[in-house]
Amino acid sequence: MITRRTFALGASTAAALAAPAVRRARADNAPIRIGVINSMSGGYAAYAQEGHPAFKYIIDKINAEGGVKSMGGAKIELVLADDTSQGARCATEARRLLTEEKVDLLTGTMLSPQMLAVSPVLDELQAPCLSVWAGGSRSPWLYSLGYDYDRGYAKTMADFAIWLRDKKGFALKTWMPCYSNYEAGQQVNTHLLKRMGDAGFQPVGEAALDTKAQDQTAAMIRIRAAKPDIALGLVTPRDGLLLHQARYNLNYHGSIFAGGTGGYSDLSLWRDLSPDIAKAVLTRNLFAMTGFSPAANVPSMQKIIAEFRDVAKLKLIGQSAMQSAQAARVIQRALEIAGTRDKKAVKEAFAKVEIKFGDADLYVAKPTGIKFADDRLLTDGSAFFVQWMEDKSQQVLYPEQFANAQPRPRSS
Amino acid sequence: MRPEFFAQLRSPVPWIVLAVAAVMPFVLPNYYLHIFTITLVYAALASAWNIVGGIAGQISLAHSLFVGCGAMLSSALLVRYGLNMWLGVIVSAAAAAAIGAMISFIDFRFRLGHLSFALITMAFAEMAEIYVTGTEFFGGASGLFLPKDTGDFFAFQFGGGRGAFWAMLAMTALCLLANLAILNSPLGYYLRSIRDNENAAQAIGVGLLRNKTLAMTISAVLTAIVGAIYARYLAFVDPYLLVSPTLTVEIILFATVGGLGSVIGPALGAFLLAPLGEILRGHFGGSLPGLHYFIYGAIVVAVILVSPAGVWPAIVSRLAKRGRQKA
Repeated sequence: MITRRTFALGASTAAALAAPAVRRARADNAPIRIGVINSMSGGYAAYAQEGHPAFKYIIDKINAEGGVKSMGGAKIELVLADDTSQGARCATEARRLLTEEKVDLLTGTMLSPQMLAVSPVLDELQAPCLSVWAGGSRSPWLYSLGYDYDRGYAKTMADFAIWLRDKKGFALKTWMPCYSNYEAGQQVNTHLLKRMGDAGFQPVGEAALDTKAQDQTAAMIRIRAAKPDIALGLVTPRDGLLLHQARYNLNYHGSIFAGGTGGYSDLSLWRDLSPDIAKAVLTRNLFAMTGFSPAANVPSMQKIIAEFRDVAKLKLIGQSAMQSAQAARVIQRALEIAGTRDKKAVKEAFAKVEIKFGDADLYVAKPTGIKFADDRLLTDGSAFFVQWMEDKSQQVLYPEQFANAQPRPRSS
Repeated sequence: MRPEFFAQLRSPVPWIVLAVAAVMPFVLPNYYLHIFTITLVYAALASAWNIVGGIAGQISLAHSLFVGCGAMLSSALLVRYGLNMWLGVIVSAAAAAAIGAMISFIDFRFRLGHLSFALITMAFAEMAEIYVTGTEFFGGASGLFLPKDTGDFFAFQFGGGRGAFWAMLAMTALCLLANLAILNSPLGYYLRSIRDNENAAQAIGVGLLRNKTLAMTISAVLTAIVGAIYARYLAFVDPYLLVSPTLTVEIILFATVGGLGSVIGPALGAFLLAPLGEILRGHFGGSLPGLHYFIYGAIVVAVILVSPAGVWPAIVSRLAKRGRQKA
């Protein structure tokens, strides 16, 4: 006969035995905390201001669709931080989020300077991180969706120049590096020099754009004096704006300008240059490298653009939005693979993430899909080359599988 | 040396403060220890700058050049040539001293006014940043990565957060001691006379070149050593942080808010403003970007309005007034 005493004893024993399992179940269901370090202010703020709404929209969507299923439907909770576009502050915020906010992993715009600064902190605290934009990885804990300096930026630019010359009949013999003189610009240029040299292009001088300059007329005069067939390099939006202004003022059309990304492909150029100047310089002898174009012939990309525009009502839908949205999906896949919030398991799961071409979750144009190489950057670093139309729209030229137009002939 | 120097050293207060600070690594969590370490970096830099800017009245905007010299040169010598970083620190401190002496000579030779001196030193700082970010030896714009800190003291490694904290604490104490010693020595009198009236000082026989050069050299050497320890702590030497003229502006802001020309003032300014900036950004940066700048700016303006001479002189004056009332 079960007395009240034996029942109470049995119940408390069962409760004591079940407690760890209950705690585990609750822990599995507890929100997964993701620290998001964005450059919300400072020189790189444009990346996060465009990218974060798209990232948050996808995370909200993942939560609404049942969270991370392999972790009992755990929801994702974002903890935001601003690094003010400075590397050292990115490292400080990473330390705060990991030790004070107890986040499970980190992500954020994190361009190359932030990536370099945050790497020692990730190594010390052994925490996984996905950068949206870094062009390299200096920590085994850090993965990046950014373009590799060589196989991303330099290879795409050099291949495009070769394609113009060999396949499209452009008379291109000489070239001039024209790049923003900062960390990524210098790195890309180092690789570009080798690739263009190997392809038989002859260098004629160099135009390194001073990133603090208020005017790029001096650089444009240097280009005009050397008159290369093509000026090529990585140019930031601000330097691109000043470069195009100088080109308009000097009325120079003797060279082809190609490169990217933001300095040639950013929609803000039309607003900042004014439509008349933009029309005069952006639609003439200029080809822009970009990771995203609304004109690209990629169904999954077109679908998410429509969703951002019609459902999420996002105001800015450019490559930062697409790249950030892609980061959210990569994180979701990594968490699903890991099935735990253990930091080492999540880190190892990133290496196993694969989003194939044709998958509905592939938002960026990667012909071979998304997969991380041994250097923790994407195996496919390719990007588009586009040309601007007078109505501010773009036509995709390269690679040919995504193209919807032919390159405009060179004009003088 | 005036007896006041030894009297202040015999006082138990600084030793108690030092002892309390030294146990902080055992008390503070990781993030707050980091904030404390960064604060010590700024306190040391503001104190070192105070020798030139506060005591001698020479508004130098070139101190980022000295920080960069200590951080970038010693790191580059280690990474490129494998030179022991202790030796690298000696080399970079000597280089900073030489550059400081050269700037002082230019100042003396051309009889630069305060504004011209500030502009010339700013030009040096700008040139340094352009040179470092364009030179492969210093890692260009990418900066340099230092080998992992394994705690080998003989390789200028301090064993991570705690060790770096103690190293910076010692360096801050050294900078404060240097200020105290200078203020209580003939050099301190000469520098203050130069600050108050350069022509009158020269007329009574104060050597402008000798004393200005000495002040700048001491300040440059201390700044370079702080830069090297900071670089070792961060493990990544970022030219845009360590050679940026913005760093000098921050140092001057801390020194001014704390109280120029005093021993404690510049360090106090750093202790008030550096953690405030970090904590405000931590709390508001993610959710309300830019608000932390606004609050920080408003607090700085309020402090300057309430005590234009700085926080420390205001505290000293209030304490003295209370003492007089009691008497």
